[in-house]
Amino acid sequence: MLKPYQMSRVIITGPINVQEAVVRELHNLKILHIVDHSKSELADIGKPFESAARLSEILVKVRALISAFSIKKEESNFELKRSISEIESAIKKLNEEASLNIDELKKAEEQLSKMHAAKQELEILKGINVPLESFAPYKTLAHFTGHIKNKSAAASLKGEIPAITDKFMIFDSNAGKKPFIALFVDAKSKDQAANILQKNSFVPINFLNLSGLKGDASNNLSRLEQETAKLQGKKSGIKKNLDKMSAEHKWFLAAAEKFLGEQLEKAEAPLKFASTQSSFLVKGWVPSSELTRSIDRLNKVSKNRIFVHFEPAKKDDKVPVKLKNPKLARPFEFFMNMYSMPAYKEIDPTFFIFLTFPIFFGIMLGDVGYGLFSLLLFWLLKRKMPKASSFFSILMLASFVTILFGLLFGELFGKEFIHPVISREHEMFTLLYLSIAIGVIHVNIGLVVGFINEMKNHGIVHAIYAKASWIVLQIGIAMLALAYFGIIKVSPLFGAAFLGASILMLIKGEGIKGVIELPSILTNIMSYARLMAIGLSSVILAVIINDSAKEFFQHGGIFVLVGILVLVIGHAINLMLGLLGGFLHSLRLHYVEFFSKFFHGGAEKYRPFGAKE
Amino acid sequence: MAADISTGLIAIGSGLAIGLSAIAAAIAEKEIGAAAVGAMAEKEELFGKGLILTVIPETLVIFGLVVAILILNLAKGA
Repeated sequence: MLKPYQMSRVIITGPINVQEAVVRELHNLKILHIVDHSKSELADIGKPFESAARLSEILVKVRALISAFSIKKEESNFELKRSISEIESAIKKLNEEASLNIDELKKAEEQLSKMHAAKQELEILKGINVPLESFAPYKTLAHFTGHIKNKSAAASLKGEIPAITDKFMIFDSNAGKKPFIALFVDAKSKDQAANILQKNSFVPINFLNLSGLKGDASNNLSRLEQETAKLQGKKSGIKKNLDKMSAEHKWFLAAAEKFLGEQLEKAEAPLKFASTQSSFLVKGWVPSSELTRSIDRLNKVSKNRIFVHFEPAKKDDKVPVKLKNPKLARPFEFFMNMYSMPAYKEIDPTFFIFLTFPIFFGIMLGDVGYGLFSLLLFWLLKRKMPKASSFFSILMLASFVTILFGLLFGELFGKEFIHPVISREHEMFTLLYLSIAIGVIHVNIGLVVGFINEMKNHGIVHAIYAKASWIVLQIGIAMLALAYFGIIKVSPLFGAAFLGASILMLIKGEGIKGVIELPSILTNIMSYARLMAIGLSSVILAVIINDSAKEFFQHGGIFVLVGILVLVIGHAINLMLGLLGGFLHSLRLHYVEFFSKFFHGGAEKYRPFGAKE
Repeated sequence: MAADISTGLIAIGSGLAIGLSAIAAAIAEKEIGAAAVGAMAEKEELFGKGLILTVIPETLVIFGLVVAILILNLAKGA
């Protein structure tokens, strides 16, 4: 709680022939956070094991198969009782079989799309009785095919063409949306015919997909229909094949991917090591409590041929951070992962978030009905998505606190069902003052934490100047305000003195930057007014929903159904808004108002070698 | 309840207080939000910081709301 696990710096060195044994044991231990070695004059980075190239080759194939079969990542208990070469040959066989099918599938799909295009063109030509081979290039004959504006244009064409030549044939059809014409004219009159066509807003169509087809359009069409159906059958057959393969080998592939990934991770570990021809050295961090156990195990597997140096973390070390919190507060480490890991020497704020986040959320949502409903919802979601369990644990706790505040506010879906201790709907100002009071407390907790942080890192004098000054500033402002309103009978000079002193301390502690940020303490505290504001908007919306539903109920008859609909949809939307608002605003109060008082962060997360995320 | 002109004006005043501050916050958040989403597309870990930067102007609306409520309270006093 408040402090991360204590870490020790560890350096392991030994002859190269025990490197593989050490890597294996480290992978089993899942304890060492390796610090990558960067190439230097003293030592190069290590070479991966010989198996690495082969492993990554198989892994690439496995992943290709997984994506071809569109296998989703799932947890399984599939036991992979095979050696690497057995996996390799199995994958090779599977790959050949699959790629055969995939190639066929592609071919079939290509053919289908070609046929589809040809069919569309044939549909147009179906209406005129011209053999398909007629639309070939000629020396003495020109032909035009395309749509024209309307039927009357077709009639006028038939009148105009004979005026330029008597060597022509014209066909028209009204099968499509627009009339279609095919015009054959003497090559000499081609330009004149084109002019006439243009006047009748002729849009040419080129039949690109019909080369090689002969005879009547409708015959060809029905033949293509049959072929398409056949191909479709073939295609679905291949697809079924692939699905069968996918279902059959899905567990094997997933397990193989996991296994090979682990093997490859081990094989490539030396890339993070420093290495000479005959020795290796690896640096990293281990939680101090695990130190002796892991050194013993490493010595055992290397038959005491390695040397392990360890020391506690020094002041300026960049120590990876593993947060340490009681079980109930642990899900809230999610917020630190999302924001930034606290530095090793800093106070870990997870426990504070655990205490205040659900309260803020509860005040904002504060309704027994909404709380119960969201508790149930998040419980179901948590069971459904175990990966995001910490997120849903947070929300479940927050929903529980929402129910408690709902009882305090006496609200059930916006309706006051018991006499409230504080009514959010009617006692706005009480709640506003309460929110601001919560803000003062929360911000000052932040300042105290900041004080402790500064004291640890820069000594008590700096801590007083940089953090205590803010508290003095607040006292000064409070005294001034109270004196102004005549609540306390002291001269305003006292308040002014506090104010002046705090500003001087700030200049000494944080420089001119501190003075510029002076008003921020007030805006930060005022910002907690949102606790009341978000809650108020949520209540008012709920009340409006209830009132409008009530009117429908009074009408009776079919309107009762409408009323129920209004209630369900309205409260669903309001709950959604309330959850979103409650979550984001509560989070914001922590990240912005609270954290800015003490938090630096920026540490790397502790990621031991071999552990999965 | 017969509302006179002054009550109406007070209502308009408080409406303006919250409406205008909401517009101001929206304009500010639009720009920051777009930039934050852009940054997140490059580097996903920036979500936390992006969220914070995006919601900073929200305080404006809270101030607007507080002022609106104070103005409304005038109406009760009058």
